[in-house]
Amino acid sequence: MLDRRMTQFNILRGAVAIFFALFVAAIFVFLTSESPLESLRYLLIGPLVSVKNGAVSFNMRNMLEVLAAMIPTIFTGLAVCVMFSANQFNLAGEGCVYVGAFVGGLIGVYWDLPPFIHPLVATLVAGVVCAVIMLIPALAKVILGASEMVTSLMLNYVMLYVSMHFLNFHFANRSRGATMTHDFRESARVFQIVPGTSKLSWGFIAALILTVIMWFFMYRTRWGYSIRMIGINESFALYSGMNVAGMIIVSQMIGGMLSGMGGSLEVLGRYNQFLWLSLPGYGWTGITIAILARNNPGAVPLAAFFLAYLNKGCMLMSTKTHVPSEMIDIIQAAIFLFFAAEQFLSGYRQKIVVKTTREELLKQGNADIENGGE
Amino acid sequence: MADTPVVQMLGISKVYPNGIAANRDVDFSVNKGEIHALVGENGAGKSTLMKILFGLEKPTSGAILIDGEAVMFSSPMAAISNGIGMVHQHFMLVPSLTVAENVVLGMAPRKSGIFIDFKEAVRLTEEYAERFHFDVEPNARVADISVGMKQKVEILKALVRGAKVLILDEPTAVLTTQETEELFRQLHELKSQGFTIIFISHKLNEIKELTDRVTIMRHGRAVGTYYTDSISEQEISRLMVGRDVVLEVQKTPAEPGEVVLLVENLQFVNEWNKRMLNGISFDVRKGEIVGIAGVEGNGQRELVDILFGLIAPEEGSVHVNGVNIADKSQRELRDMGISYVPEDRMTFGIAGSASINENIVSDRISSPAFNKGPLLNMKAIRETSQNLIEDYAVLCKSGRQHVNMLSGGNIQKVVVAREFSADPLLIIADQPTRGIDVGATELIRKKLIDLSRQGAAVLLVSADLNEVMELSDSLIVLYGGKIVGYFDDGQWDDVMMGEYMLGLKKQSDEEVKRACHA
Repeated sequence: MLDRRMTQFNILRGAVAIFFALFVAAIFVFLTSESPLESLRYLLIGPLVSVKNGAVSFNMRNMLEVLAAMIPTIFTGLAVCVMFSANQFNLAGEGCVYVGAFVGGLIGVYWDLPPFIHPLVATLVAGVVCAVIMLIPALAKVILGASEMVTSLMLNYVMLYVSMHFLNFHFANRSRGATMTHDFRESARVFQIVPGTSKLSWGFIAALILTVIMWFFMYRTRWGYSIRMIGINESFALYSGMNVAGMIIVSQMIGGMLSGMGGSLEVLGRYNQFLWLSLPGYGWTGITIAILARNNPGAVPLAAFFLAYLNKGCMLMSTKTHVPSEMIDIIQAAIFLFFAAEQFLSGYRQKIVVKTTREELLKQGNADIENGGE
Repeated sequence: MADTPVVQMLGISKVYPNGIAANRDVDFSVNKGEIHALVGENGAGKSTLMKILFGLEKPTSGAILIDGEAVMFSSPMAAISNGIGMVHQHFMLVPSLTVAENVVLGMAPRKSGIFIDFKEAVRLTEEYAERFHFDVEPNARVADISVGMKQKVEILKALVRGAKVLILDEPTAVLTTQETEELFRQLHELKSQGFTIIFISHKLNEIKELTDRVTIMRHGRAVGTYYTDSISEQEISRLMVGRDVVLEVQKTPAEPGEVVLLVENLQFVNEWNKRMLNGISFDVRKGEIVGIAGVEGNGQRELVDILFGLIAPEEGSVHVNGVNIADKSQRELRDMGISYVPEDRMTFGIAGSASINENIVSDRISSPAFNKGPLLNMKAIRETSQNLIEDYAVLCKSGRQHVNMLSGGNIQKVVVAREFSADPLLIIADQPTRGIDVGATELIRKKLIDLSRQGAAVLLVSADLNEVMELSDSLIVLYGGKIVGYFDDGQWDDVMMGEYMLGLKKQSDEEVKRACHA
């Protein structure tokens, strides 16, 4: 009974955290906007409805764009879930998205493979490359004891600038004004689910499939089990005879692989050539998502949807009214604060615990009396 | 002696954030100038009650009266200023400071209001030590003094702060028989000077010997307060657990087989350059329990860590069934048939926020029995866990409950269920029943004997002298990293053991060599 009430409590806490975050956002909207109510409308329901000449209708295009935006962040969210579950605060997902996109893009340009197979191979190779890159912080941690947080954070920029070097000096299309690769082959494109400009590609389905696979991996395989136990208590895992060093390495390689795959699917599904000149930010979003999902892969799509929706709402708000798009950073920070604060609503939590325990004791006490007392 | 209550706790209830009701409507009253025992199984709520009295925990409901006046302590500081002092089971001393510095810590006398007056600190310590006949050396470093001495420093600390009521949380758990006797003499002395003492213990004989009255707790409730003279040990034990516990262990004579564990000439120097093991050699044979007795810190920790591959010896070797275990991983050691009940169950024994099911199969999660292809066989895991939960009487709602929601005794049952069910050749049991209740203790001891009689070799390391003396077929006493005594005749008692454990007596090399049979 306590378990059920705790689940309810956690849902309530999440909802209240989001509510407070939006409340904080609303304060800033009122401070910065000339038409605050209209701005808020765009922020909250803009992605859902469109108002044309007073007629309200469901906004399919915006909704599809929200779903499309989830593709890379589901991948990075899953990646962070796996690494954080093992208590590995590896932050190199960001750089892996970039490298994955670059590698996947190059394969899309230079390899000659049949349609469907082509993006699949490109994405898998991108994943493998990023998994191997993650060996750097992982091995440094296991062999040298170097904090993976520091090494992986710095590795992001190494990955960015090494990739940029190759893009600039080896693979750039000189006939273009901006720095980008040659066009992807037609066979390398990830097809759209819905024709149009929404960019909702089959990568979305791939992301959902990966979500299911990762949930099973984390909760229904011995490797996921080991990763979770290492995250909860590393000494216990070692003492139980688990391969702690090995699983620390594996968890970070999986994290790199998923991030790289996400990057590759994103560029092959959205663009005609690889043209990122800075880190895209999906890796950072993945960290927010993993925290919202409490490292549970099953909750990642929901968290990714929430952030994508919010992002879209902020974009609409900033384009249609005069609120800076940086607002999303403020809202995200507020959610972070409320979610990360374990003590948030802890008084109320204690009340639930006391109430439930009292009830159970009462029941138990009655049973004791029926059994002839103590 | 007038029966005026100095401490009264009325209707105390405490519910922890994890939902455990540690105290339920407890009434507890202590008279001035008495030694009052507080007994109960682990998880019965004694420590919680005392933490509330000492201001470490806030009660969910209830009132505290000191000398008839209602008080509510928000911190230990408040409790101390009301004359309550507490000596914790794990000493709260700074090892690198001297005795006098520890005694005045946080209330040090000052020179010109800024500098600590060390001379005055020493004088103060000496004055109090003299008044209560505590022979402590004020200028000794705490790191260098014995456990019994540390305890005296703790008591002095409380007295210097003006404590009139002393709470002692299992003070004898770490003491030798001789040290315990000295402690009791001092407690009587304090009592005669009008101090009130609350004595928390599991050891019934000590309670009979020392205390005036006893309050028994069970399942968070106070089940009664009695004059110690008017109640027998059996009755106390019955009230504690709600049934009669056979404290004597029944065991058939051992029939030792071939050597399973062979330890030869182990040497180990720790990171502070202290020689912790100095030429240890012994063996454990199939079907016998070998006990290791000794005051803590005489090499037991290092020996066990070497046996389970957590640290490497400087010299010497360990063979299990003829195979050298040097450089073997924990996985390989477990695959060789070694099971290990760790001393620190919270650090090594469990993953707290994982379920019982997940904890109970942690050592065999990769075995074919629990895997179907790449996926775990959840049904097999659930069934195995359910059987072990029943077999070891783990008190829980279901196997899906998180382990850190259980009481200490039940957590240890989970650890032991896992280790004992691994079909072990060799069991290393390090303090297997420390700090857990009588019921769980009895179950674990019984299982240990059963396993050894079924052919497992058991190495039992325990600071509980009664436990090693009762369970062991042969006994090794460690002192200063050396084996100072080996006994295989079953003829031992606590006085004799105490002499060896304190280094007063020592067997000849020839006698000690008998520990190796091969």
